[in-house]
Amino acid sequence: MKIVHKVMLGNIINIIFIALIYIVAFQFLEFMLAKLQFVEIADDLNASFLGMRLSEKNYFLYGDPSFLKEIEVELDDSIASISSVQENIIRAVGESKYEELRQSVEEYKEAIQKAEESNASDVNMQKTVRESGRQLREFSAKIVSLERKKVNDILSHSKKVLFYFFCVIILVAMAATYLFFSKFLSSLKSIERTATCISQGDFCKVEGDNTGDELGSVMAAINSMSEELDSRYEQIVQSRKLASLGILTAGVAHELGNPLNNIALVAQSYIELADHLSKEETVGYMKTIEEETERIEKIVQDLLDFSKPKKANVKEMEINRVVEKSLKLVRNMLHVSGIEVRSDLQEKLPLVYIDENRIQEVLINLVINAIQVLSPGGLVTIRTYLEEKGDYVVIEVRDTGPGILPEHLPHIFVPFFSTKGVRGTGLGLSVSYGIIKNHNGRMRVESKVNVGTTFFIELPVYR
Amino acid sequence: MNGARIMVIDDEKIVGKMIKSTFEQDGYTVETFVDPQPALARLEEEKFAVVITDLKMKNIDGMQVLETIKAGSPETKVIMITAFASMDAAIEALRKKVDDFFPKPIKIKDLKACVKNLLNE
Repeated sequence: MKIVHKVMLGNIINIIFIALIYIVAFQFLEFMLAKLQFVEIADDLNASFLGMRLSEKNYFLYGDPSFLKEIEVELDDSIASISSVQENIIRAVGESKYEELRQSVEEYKEAIQKAEESNASDVNMQKTVRESGRQLREFSAKIVSLERKKVNDILSHSKKVLFYFFCVIILVAMAATYLFFSKFLSSLKSIERTATCISQGDFCKVEGDNTGDELGSVMAAINSMSEELDSRYEQIVQSRKLASLGILTAGVAHELGNPLNNIALVAQSYIELADHLSKEETVGYMKTIEEETERIEKIVQDLLDFSKPKKANVKEMEINRVVEKSLKLVRNMLHVSGIEVRSDLQEKLPLVYIDENRIQEVLINLVINAIQVLSPGGLVTIRTYLEEKGDYVVIEVRDTGPGILPEHLPHIFVPFFSTKGVRGTGLGLSVSYGIIKNHNGRMRVESKVNVGTTFFIELPVYR
Repeated sequence: MNGARIMVIDDEKIVGKMIKSTFEQDGYTVETFVDPQPALARLEEEKFAVVITDLKMKNIDGMQVLETIKAGSPETKVIMITAFASMDAAIEALRKKVDDFFPKPIKIKDLKACVKNLLNE
């Protein structure tokens, strides 16, 4: 179900609840109103019954039949009012009680009519009239007090009902929220985890099932982005290598310039001196040409090794040999940029199990980074040593550059983070970090503004 | 044949060797050095008509060699050769009164013509 539908459903349920409360309250108020109306009517009736009984007493006392007439008039009024509010009374006390009331009134009326026909001092008549009068009065008084009590009971009961209703609504709301949104929240968490992973260079996927809602499409989008990044990562690494290659080219041009010049000089000298050269000298010239050609070939090979996509070629190596080889590749660049490089390589370090080319790539990348931030006269120091516990061989690359701002430090291994602007892809260090991580190694940095930056590469000792 | 003294300073040994062979053919006296330090010491002892020096070398920069020579004996001609011919380096060398500037690879014929020209032969 989509989130928008869930929200709509939630709202509909709320509206149904409110309507339900409204209907119940309306019914309840209607019911209470009927009860109160009845109590009012019954009070009126009670009062007129009391009046009738008073006239009845006066008749028996004075024997004046006008009192009986008065009773009759009042009785007719009462009967009229009882039947006019018949519905109200039935609703309040039920049909049977209404009938009982009507019957009592009729009986009283009958008794009064009989009294008119007989003598005022007829004891039997007196008794019948008194009896039915008393019954009528008692009955009406009884139902009035009964109804009053009922109204009070209902009112005090409704307080509790209100409270329970409130509790039920709260519980239902909580349960509904949990049911609707627990999956939503867990999906959000999962997305958050994935985003963190990706920012650390691990192109993982969002865990959990596709929920089919808007979050589901967000998750699918993130997954396809992660896949895309993963597949392009290699391409990016390649292009970054080409970029480093561009920087290396300046150094290489110089490196190639010397042997080419040497060959040219030998050839020119031979042309000039051909007639005067001994066979030995001629062979010497040719040997020189051969050596210089080999020198060029070596440089070209080194370049190819660096730029070619390489298959993993892991073997046990002496780290110092790798450091020396890397330095050889960037030596000219350092020279041309006027940057001094010092190496302090500890002898007899234990072997490390590494892909030489990849580690070389990391070292060259670090040195190129240093060259880019150093001004002529700057210093790059490379040290190798065994970590205190003896589990890792450490390579330290230190420069005397401007340092990295503290706020940038936590991000420098993050892909695409760059302080070089258009000059950098922001991938160099993240690629290096990935390479070292693949070797089960560790890479970290320490930096002080205006003092310099030191990178530490720690590779596990081969056992 | 004149017999003027020429010094070659280049950390590439072959450069000195080839210049020496071809220039001695024309009657020049050529001394070669791969390290600028002893070359400068030798210049203290004896005057050379022309010094041909590389720009980028390990210990002392070619620019420094030029400066030292021009400070000590301004009449000594200095020709600079370099595999890394940048405009900046050329301008700096000219400011320091270099007599000529050759990018590698060098044409020996041009170098000879240049030396001849500098020595007014």
